[in-house]
Amino acid sequence: MNKGLRSLSREAVFNVVLVMFVLVALYPIYMLFSTSLKTPAEFYRSMFSLPSNPRWENYSMVFIKWGFYRNFINSLIFAGSVTSICLVLSVPAGYAFALYRFRGRDVLFITILLALTLSEVSLLIPIYQLLNDLKLINTYGGLIFPQVALGLPFAIFLLTTFFREIPAEVLDAGKIDGCSDLRLLWNIVLPLGMPAIKAVSVMELMWAWNSFFFPFVVTTKYHIMPLSVSLMHFKGRYTMQYGSMATTCVIMLLPMVVLYLVMQKSFVRGITFGAVKG
Amino acid sequence: MQRKKAHPYLLVLPALLYIGVWILYPMAKTFYLSFFSAPMVFSTDYFYVGLQNFSQMITDSIFWLTLRHAVLWVLLTLAIPFMVGLALAQILAYRRTRLFYATIYFIPMTISFIIAATVWGWIYNPVFGGLNIFLESLGLRGFTRQWLADPNLALFCLNMIGSWGYFGFCTLIILSAYQGVNPSLHDAAKVDGANSLQRFLHVTLPSIKYTLYFLLVFSVIAAMKTFDLVFVSTKGGPHHATEIVAVYVFHLLLVEGEINYAATLSATLTLIILVLTVFMTRFLYRKEA
Repeated sequence: MNKGLRSLSREAVFNVVLVMFVLVALYPIYMLFSTSLKTPAEFYRSMFSLPSNPRWENYSMVFIKWGFYRNFINSLIFAGSVTSICLVLSVPAGYAFALYRFRGRDVLFITILLALTLSEVSLLIPIYQLLNDLKLINTYGGLIFPQVALGLPFAIFLLTTFFREIPAEVLDAGKIDGCSDLRLLWNIVLPLGMPAIKAVSVMELMWAWNSFFFPFVVTTKYHIMPLSVSLMHFKGRYTMQYGSMATTCVIMLLPMVVLYLVMQKSFVRGITFGAVKG
Repeated sequence: MQRKKAHPYLLVLPALLYIGVWILYPMAKTFYLSFFSAPMVFSTDYFYVGLQNFSQMITDSIFWLTLRHAVLWVLLTLAIPFMVGLALAQILAYRRTRLFYATIYFIPMTISFIIAATVWGWIYNPVFGGLNIFLESLGLRGFTRQWLADPNLALFCLNMIGSWGYFGFCTLIILSAYQGVNPSLHDAAKVDGANSLQRFLHVTLPSIKYTLYFLLVFSVIAAMKTFDLVFVSTKGGPHHATEIVAVYVFHLLLVEGEINYAATLSATLTLIILVLTVFMTRFLYRKEA
């Protein structure tokens, strides 16, 4: 009886802890959402209260009057292109690294792994000069190219680790049937590797969507900025307009939270695969 | 059969070329630039100065400050989100609701640091901020602070924002390692009379060890690379209290125009991260292998 009581109270403490961290995780997001529907005066009165009279017009104001829709479209183009280019480059590379033996393979793979540790700031000067020489400042290309470079090593790493798990018998069977290497990639590796490809896609997409460092340096003109950079500029310009500021935040975070919840399985796989296997 | 030898190179070539142009060449150039100097700021007429930039760096007190903050940041990351993640994973390990909780805990990680910094900036705001109001409502007026404007607290407060985004990631990673722990080992230990602490130390910990190593290395690298959060929240202030290498380099570059000195610091940061990574992976993984 005593033991049962103790385990019961331990259970209760654990549940309180679990719920407390749910509040920690979600409260700031709830606050952004409720603030996005408030007037500045209401926000000053209390950060905790719900808006008395939700101002949905904050959203149309930010989207249309502030021109945030442009940045939204820019982010879509930016993140979408980065993800596609990363996949086009990393799928063949991961296939080769995982399923072929060739001279220099391990050295090349380790070089790619080490590229994962580089900080963005250490690439900034030369990349900026390169983009400047190529006249890519304030263009989509200028946004996309550096971000692909940052995302590519991870994509290759994850795909290589995953493709290694494809059983050799399946590939041998394909070879016996007379598949060429590219057919093998297309007909066997791609379908079997779909979970990893999905995982890489959602992660690259989110990474690019949320990226700030290079976009901030590369875009100085409003019409080309992605959401993260324009949000930073709004923050400077409309310091006191908390409601509208929160609205911009919600507009930026909502697609990623929804993407995460919808693609949750792929996501978790992508994140945990390297950690547990590698 | 003959074509088979050529193919793998063709398959990796596009990716390698890309990495060469956009990562290896820039990296090499950053190192190259750190041995040069320019006659005036924002100038690109470099001349060779040997190690002069590095000796300037060694006498730069702000550089040492950034290193100290990096170490502090790493320690805070290990002490707070890492430990919280470990504890939550331990609680969740054998619950049916674990995926539900882990999913929610991870949501902050999907949110940009720009947004996290904005909303937490409001929470920390000394005038209308939720944290001070919350403390006052509990009757703890004495504990209210200027949070991000207080040099003694600013770095800690920033790290808490980072922890908010990071603890769910730690929980998820550790939890996924728990799936590999053999439950029969636990039962056997229980039969042998091991208490829960002993079971954790001798059964769970060895099984999740490599995942913890991975998380450790990852956390250190991520901590050394931190930029967005600090740049958006405090820009390294107040009075360099939150100055970190990346933010300092950014300032040198765009405000002071000290391109070569900025390159020197970036190159040093890269070297530090590389050495740390190689050292940690060797040390941690070799010992047991």
